[in-house]
Amino acid sequence: MLYVVLFFLLFSLLLYVMLGGADFGAGIVELFTSRKNRSHTRDIIYRVIGPVWEANHIWLIILLVILWVAFPVYFNIIVIYLHIPLTLVLLGITIRGVAFVFRHYDAVVDQSQFWYNWLFRIGSFMTPVFLGLSFSALISGKIILIEDHPDASFYEFFIQPWLNIFSLLTGLFFASLCAFLAATLLIGESEGKAKEHFSKSSATFTIILVVVGFVLLSYGYSFDIKFVRDFIENPIAIGSVILSGILLLPLWKFIKQQRRIASRYMAGIQVILILFAAIVTHFPYFIITAQQEISILDNIAPASTINNLGWMLIIGGSIILPGLFHLMKSFKMIKILEKS
Amino acid sequence: MENLDYARLQMAFTLGFHIIFACIGMVMPFFMVVSHYKFLKTRDPIYKKLTMAWLKGVAIFFVTGAVSGTALSFELGMLWPGFMKHAGPIIGMPFSLEGAAFFVEAIALGFYLYGWNKLPEKFHWFTGIIIGVAGVASGILVVSANGWMNAPSGFDFINGEFTNIDPVKALLNPAWFTQALHMTLAAFVATSFGVAGIHAYQIYKNRNVDLHLKAFKITIIIGTVAAFLQPISGDISAKDVAKRQPVKLAALEAHFETQKGAPLYIGGIVNEENQKVTHKIAIPKALSFLAFGDFDAEVKGLNDFPEDERPPVAIVHYAFQLMVGLGVAMVLAGIIYLISIKKKSWLQSKYYWLLFIIMAPMGFLAIEAGWVVTEVGRQPWIIHQVMKTKDAVTPVPGMKYSFFFYLVLYTILALMVTWLMHRQIKSLNQKLD
Repeated sequence: MLYVVLFFLLFSLLLYVMLGGADFGAGIVELFTSRKNRSHTRDIIYRVIGPVWEANHIWLIILLVILWVAFPVYFNIIVIYLHIPLTLVLLGITIRGVAFVFRHYDAVVDQSQFWYNWLFRIGSFMTPVFLGLSFSALISGKIILIEDHPDASFYEFFIQPWLNIFSLLTGLFFASLCAFLAATLLIGESEGKAKEHFSKSSATFTIILVVVGFVLLSYGYSFDIKFVRDFIENPIAIGSVILSGILLLPLWKFIKQQRRIASRYMAGIQVILILFAAIVTHFPYFIITAQQEISILDNIAPASTINNLGWMLIIGGSIILPGLFHLMKSFKMIKILEKS
Repeated sequence: MENLDYARLQMAFTLGFHIIFACIGMVMPFFMVVSHYKFLKTRDPIYKKLTMAWLKGVAIFFVTGAVSGTALSFELGMLWPGFMKHAGPIIGMPFSLEGAAFFVEAIALGFYLYGWNKLPEKFHWFTGIIIGVAGVASGILVVSANGWMNAPSGFDFINGEFTNIDPVKALLNPAWFTQALHMTLAAFVATSFGVAGIHAYQIYKNRNVDLHLKAFKITIIIGTVAAFLQPISGDISAKDVAKRQPVKLAALEAHFETQKGAPLYIGGIVNEENQKVTHKIAIPKALSFLAFGDFDAEVKGLNDFPEDERPPVAIVHYAFQLMVGLGVAMVLAGIIYLISIKKKSWLQSKYYWLLFIIMAPMGFLAIEAGWVVTEVGRQPWIIHQVMKTKDAVTPVPGMKYSFFFYLVLYTILALMVTWLMHRQIKSLNQKLD
């Protein structure tokens, strides 16, 4: 059952990165769009992510619940040492969520739209950045546990683990990944001028993604961050990343040929490869503090809890996944059953 | 004030905020499907307009409830890591089920919001029902987790360690049913009276009386039924608390000395130092009867409990009085509505509508008061007689700033939602004129 729970943990993480990521990315694409392209961007985003974005973000809650129920030690480290960046993640989630609804459901369309739009764009950008900062704090070996060093300062405990160049690069990397996903998704939902525009932004964000990824790895390697070192020295991990880089070529080809389903799958496979590489490097030691590496499989919840959670996830998943699939299909997010 | 106080204030404030939005998001879908059903039956375009107006309300409240709920699921850990570390594995079941129910709700909302003229009519209507049912299920599950804090079960606590964990037993803890029943009914009463009050105001102002009268009827009927059921559920709750948490009962009644045939205090000013309640109306033997069904039963007083295990008395007592008082007021308002069905002339009176306008926020006030009773009444424990709140608080300093951050953010959010609702109603009236 533990492996069922672990599967759902990674599965929710993957879906959150892909679906939630594409939502954030939509806002980022809008943020970096020239004024003349904004109005069609806004309309297409509403049409494409409107019906599904709320469901997309529940993966984060599922992820969180699995962590706190089954892996309390991990959850505890995350909520104590990442208190500040997570608060900012919450701020981002809150403002982009309400701004999205406000701008589409406000009965009066006036000046306030200006504020809704900016809140949506800024929220969409800051959330993945701070998520990336938080994630990098866990793996970069900068967290100092109170029990290891009770005398460290507030700055050392609660700020420096996530506020450093490596973390900022990780944050930017995640934000560019989101934007890349969104742009690739939006190409298939648009026509004419808009399509041209999204193709261009997809290409731009791909280049940014590759560059930031490269800088991130080189920085981590040269400043001796253990996770990065292990990542680069792990043939499977680095192989996956190189493969995902190579797959950019067929992705561009599919986009040019207007094969939108194939291009979406290709983008999805790339994210899976990057995530797989990050996970395979250090499984099960995902949290690396200044003093120790902590396994996710140590000090887990008792077997009765894990069994119960496993069943709940299986039952919940078998209700939710078909519903979700049907929702996405109804509103043309997935076009497996149709000819493109 | 210390870190602990600010952490408690933040939790109280964010939960107090979330509880309102969650209740509205939970109950409004039912109004919407009733109106939608009437539209499908009568094809009266007014019902369609009403359904669409309520639907926009549902969408706005759902999102506000969802984001504040997401924040809360983080906050539980961020403020109370000591609690979550031990309680997480025990009460994971209601939360994982709640996650599933919430997911179902979001999927159904996606269908309902974007399914007009796209889905088969009946299926589309049915997805509205699912929104409501899944919302109520979420609420019940979260309250069950809260019930566990009042009535911890499903584990053995040996030498400071939690062992023999049984998640099903923890979910079905002795308090879950009474609390969930009381909270669900409260959500229906408060939201119904709240929405009815808004429409009453429109009628009072003589705007589109046709539409607002239909809206008022749907909501006030649901509200009246729920308001009549609530005292029964309150009685079940009180008897349960008397048995399980006698110290909480003593606090909410400001009952200091153990006594047989204890009187019930109505109102009163509590002096915690002198252990006196002044300016009260005392009904002889009524507390013994209400708590145990026997006029001569012994009711334990606060002085029977160690001093460091007593909750703050005054605030719990006042909150309890307020909750019960408002509950009674809403039952009376329900009776007035029932009479007005026969006496149609009342509907012409300005005072009739003024009454329901005044009642609009009362249900929510009662919910906040009731929530203070159950949460403050549980102090100093976070898990009743197992873990104290002060032992669960985060070691991160500076919760003061965190509290003010949430205070500002949620205040702005509340103002914006209110303003949006105002614009919603205004434009609804304009469209109809």
